[in-house]
Amino acid sequence: MAGGGEGLAIPERTKRGKIVRRKKKRRIGFRIDLTPLVDITFLLLTFFMFTTTMLKPQIMEMRIPPEMYAKVEVRASELLTLLLTKENKLYWFKGIADETNKPQEIPISKLRMLAYEKNLEPMVKNKLITVLKISPEASYSKVIEILDELNLAEIPITEAISKELDEKGEPVKRQRKFTIAPLLEEDLKFIEGEGK
Amino acid sequence: MPKIKKKRMGFVIDLTPLVDITFLLLTFLMFTTKFKSEAEAEKQFTIRRPIATPDTTSLPERDLAIINIAIDDKNPTDTAYYYGITNVRDVPLIYQLVPEIPLEFQSKALIKVDTVILGKLIRATLSVRSSTRFAIDADQRIRFKWVEDAMNILRRNRAFVFNFVTEKKRPELEKKP
Repeated sequence: MAGGGEGLAIPERTKRGKIVRRKKKRRIGFRIDLTPLVDITFLLLTFFMFTTTMLKPQIMEMRIPPEMYAKVEVRASELLTLLLTKENKLYWFKGIADETNKPQEIPISKLRMLAYEKNLEPMVKNKLITVLKISPEASYSKVIEILDELNLAEIPITEAISKELDEKGEPVKRQRKFTIAPLLEEDLKFIEGEGK
Repeated sequence: MPKIKKKRMGFVIDLTPLVDITFLLLTFLMFTTKFKSEAEAEKQFTIRRPIATPDTTSLPERDLAIINIAIDDKNPTDTAYYYGITNVRDVPLIYQLVPEIPLEFQSKALIKVDTVILGKLIRATLSVRSSTRFAIDADQRIRFKWVEDAMNILRRNRAFVFNFVTEKKRPELEKKP
């Protein structure tokens, strides 16, 4: 509608017949004091920064078979045995230990390479069973170190195995065979200076 | 001749970017912080976890039963099992099934146990909530015997899948094959 601007005009009042114009109010800028808000924010920030832990624990999954009393026969040539003694020394041997095939000491740092080489040997490729025999007196941290090294070795092993193709033309799946067993006195028989 | 006094000028530092960053950090920390579970808060011991290569599998927060194998802080020769349940609602239901637990411990989410009670608690946990995951959180200084016994107890009570809790190895210490 025309003349709509009229409504926006400052209303005029009359006082004893005289027109009185309303004084325009001066706009005053205002400030909100944010200091308490910032104080609280800093306080909360400090609290969270001191109480938060960024490094969270992680997990290593284990699957154990149910108790079995039936004997399972396996080929000796497909066995890689690792022995962790009470002195936290690690030994390994393939097949069955005897006078000619004595367990050899190996540092844990070289275990990854050993697992890689032995698992990819042509005769036992994807068939090797790793048995970790642990002395009850061995340190738990060493056990985790060994399990960690074996887990890390799985990455290149799986990669190497999956490069081959099966009858259907699909990449061969890695079949990891691993078990933990207690270390017995007879396992130490062929280690020099141990079990005597 | 009198010295001409320099007119002191007041100055204003604009704190807006500082406050912006502070709010950003605060918001991030508030959203990412997870408070300790009741079982963790009740811990009276410290566990020095074994170190393993970092990966993406972190400790689950829900429906978890933790078997702590810890060395007493005051007496370093004293090792003991502690059983903790993260799901607080399950705690009274589990304890109901194990009458050996004294009344004063019924409200606690973490209790000191022996191997017999540990077995009963595992069985009770599985019967209350079969999806509960188990974890062994052991001190790296202990002998493997303690862990082996816990593993055997888990096996006997039909908990065939469990986790070892470890600390992440720092990346610079990592070895290449």
